[in-house]
Formats: sequence, C-alpha cells, structure tokens
Amino acid sequence: MDVHDLTAAYALDALDGDEAEAYERHLGQCEDCRTQLAELNETAGALAFGAVAPAPPARLREAILETAAADRSNVVPLLQRRWVARGLAVAAAAAACIVVGLAVALTRSSQTRVVTAMVALDPAGNATLSVSGLSAAPQGKTYEAWVIPKGQAPKPAGLFSGGASTTIRLKGTVPENAVVAVTIERAGGARAPTTTPILSTPA
Amino acid sequence: MNRQLAHLSDEALVALAARSEQSALAELYDRYGRTAYGLAFRILRDGTLAEDAVQEAFLTVWRTASRFVPERGKASTWILTLVHRRAVDVVRREQRRRAESLDRAPEPAVEGVDEDAWLRLQRERVQEALRNLPDAQREALELAYYGGFSQSELAERLGQPLGTIKSRMFTGLSRMRELLGEPGGEMSWTSTT
Repeated sequence: MDVHDLTAAYALDALDGDEAEAYERHLGQCEDCRTQLAELNETAGALAFGAVAPAPPARLREAILETAAADRSNVVPLLQRRWVARGLAVAAAAAACIVVGLAVALTRSSQTRVVTAMVALDPAGNATLSVSGLSAAPQGKTYEAWVIPKGQAPKPAGLFSGGASTTIRLKGTVPENAVVAVTIERAGGARAPTTTPILSTPA
Repeated sequence: MNRQLAHLSDEALVALAARSEQSALAELYDRYGRTAYGLAFRILRDGTLAEDAVQEAFLTVWRTASRFVPERGKASTWILTLVHRRAVDVVRREQRRRAESLDRAPEPAVEGVDEDAWLRLQRERVQEALRNLPDAQREALELAYYGGFSQSELAERLGQPLGTIKSRMFTGLSRMRELLGEPGGEMSWTSTT
C-alpha cells in the first residue's frame, strides 16, 4: 500500500486509528504530502459548511464559555512569576487594524487573578481598550488610561471603574509607537499619572 | 456580545484566546458555532451528542490555541477539523446512527430566519459543488465526511476494492477543491464592518 494515497482519506478522517498513525509518521518525512494535505484539509473543512442541521441551543455557547472560564489551563505560562506584565503584538488583522493584547497575572498569597487587556487600533489611530478580570477600583479610586506618545508626557485617555469586563474608547488618537497604560488614581482622575501602571502595552 | 472584536481575523482571535481572552473564544464561537454544531449534528444525528462534540472541540481550541500555527492552515479549518474528528470518534464508538445516515434520513428543517446570509451562501456553494461531482465520488465523500465511515467500512459497504474507494475520495476532494476555488470561493470569514 502506498502511503501517499492516504492523504484524502486522512483529510476526511476516514482512516482507522493505526492507518492514521502510519500516515502521520509518513507525513513527518514527506514534504509533498504535507503540502497536499494542507490543501485537501481546507477543502474538507469547507464541506462542514454544506451540512444542513438545526441551530445549536443557546445554552451551548454559555456552557463553552463557562467551562473555558473555569478551565484556565491556557494561562499557566503566565503564572510563573509573581507579577508578570507581558505585552504581545498579535497578528495584524484584516483592514490593517492592529491589536495589542496584554495579559497580566496578579498573584497575591493563594489568590490568583488573571487580567487581560487589549487595545484595538484602527488605521486613523482611534483606539478602544478592553479589560477583563480586573477587580473594581477601591472606594474613592478609579482606573485611568493613558496614551504616552513616544518621548512625550502621558495624556489622560479616559476613566473606568473595573469589575467584570470594560471597554472604553480612548480619548484622542494613539500615534505610532505610543504606549497605552493604566494606573489607579484618585476618583475623578489625575492630569498626570501618580502611580506605577498596573497595565501597559509594550514600549 | 463583544462586537469590538468583529473586525479581527480568525487567526488574531486564536492568538487572543491563547492569552485567555474569553471574548475572543466567544467571537470564534459566534462565527463558527453554528457550522460546528450543524456538522456534528449531521454526523451524530443527536442533539446532545452534537453539543458534547462541539463543546469538546472549542475547549481544545481554548486549551491549545497557543500551539496553533497560522502558516499551516486557516483557523476556521482547524476548528472545524477538531469538531469533525471528535464527532467521528464518537460515532465510530457508538455505531448507532449508521443505518439511518445510510438511508439518508430526511434532512432536518433549517430555521432560515435567524440564519446568517453568509452561512446560507456557503452552504449553497458547497452543495452545488457536491452536485457537480460524479455520483460515485459524491457518495464516497458524503459517507466519509458526513457519515463518519472509514475507508475500509466504505469498501465493505459499497462492495468495492479499497483502492477504488481511495481513488474516489481523492479525485472527489480534488475536484471539490477546484469547484470551490472559483471566484467568490473564499471560505474564510470576511468582515462587513
């Protein structure tokens, strides 16, 4: 039996367990099969759109999101340090929109909070900041967002109170190479940051 | 719904999911959940089993998003492959719906009202392409992909040598690729915002 012949069957999940294993071993050594499989996988995936079936019940979405929230297994690498603030530039999206995401894990004694924040930026420099997992600001305090253009002073970009998920549109525009940061300030906000940022995009 | 993610590509959403951004997982579900459930339901012919398969697949997306490599294929393909594999594993274990799907049980009615126009268009395109295949190739693809039959099971059921089944699947899938690759054939999510 020629293993090359199995590409279509593999893409359709039509191999039995041991055949699939043999094919996967072969795949490691055969560039042609890898290329062909990538193509046929896309086509097999397209067949999924051809199925006629009822809509899923609404509870399925809830169940998936709740289980994912409880799961958290995909944040493990971030929990290795006590305070980790790590930014990442995520793949530029379609219409030249850029998203900068940052995830912060705050560990205090036995309690672990995972905070994720994301800045979505359109080509004109308009930006929104989405933060989830941040506890509500303490009494008399607020979270304040800042846009810090390279080499310039931070500009106040909006206040929010935290708790659950928050999305705010940042005031003004975010120029290239600017940093977006969040500090805790006195209620009403400050004109310049007075505390160390708890969140910041990479410089 | 966290619609500010609506302008992001599927691949950017997977990258965010890898960083525990739940709204990214929610957005992926909103894009592909219906197709995923439709596929699982078609294979399993059972709502509860289909829900389980879709949930397992999306949790795998959540847990392994950091290992997704965009160069190897589209995120939507990855997600739907996970759903398909899961559903096929279950159906082979259960052996329950087989006679039914062979008899081409009546298709469940689709509630067209809330169905996305884009999804309807994609379904029509795929069905049209399938209709354009020679009967033997279409049969092999449908029984394998929607029925969850392995190539050896197909050979036995259809009374054909294994080589014939393999070649029908290969030729059929390659022909589908050509048919779907024609203009307007992009199957990936396209933002309308």
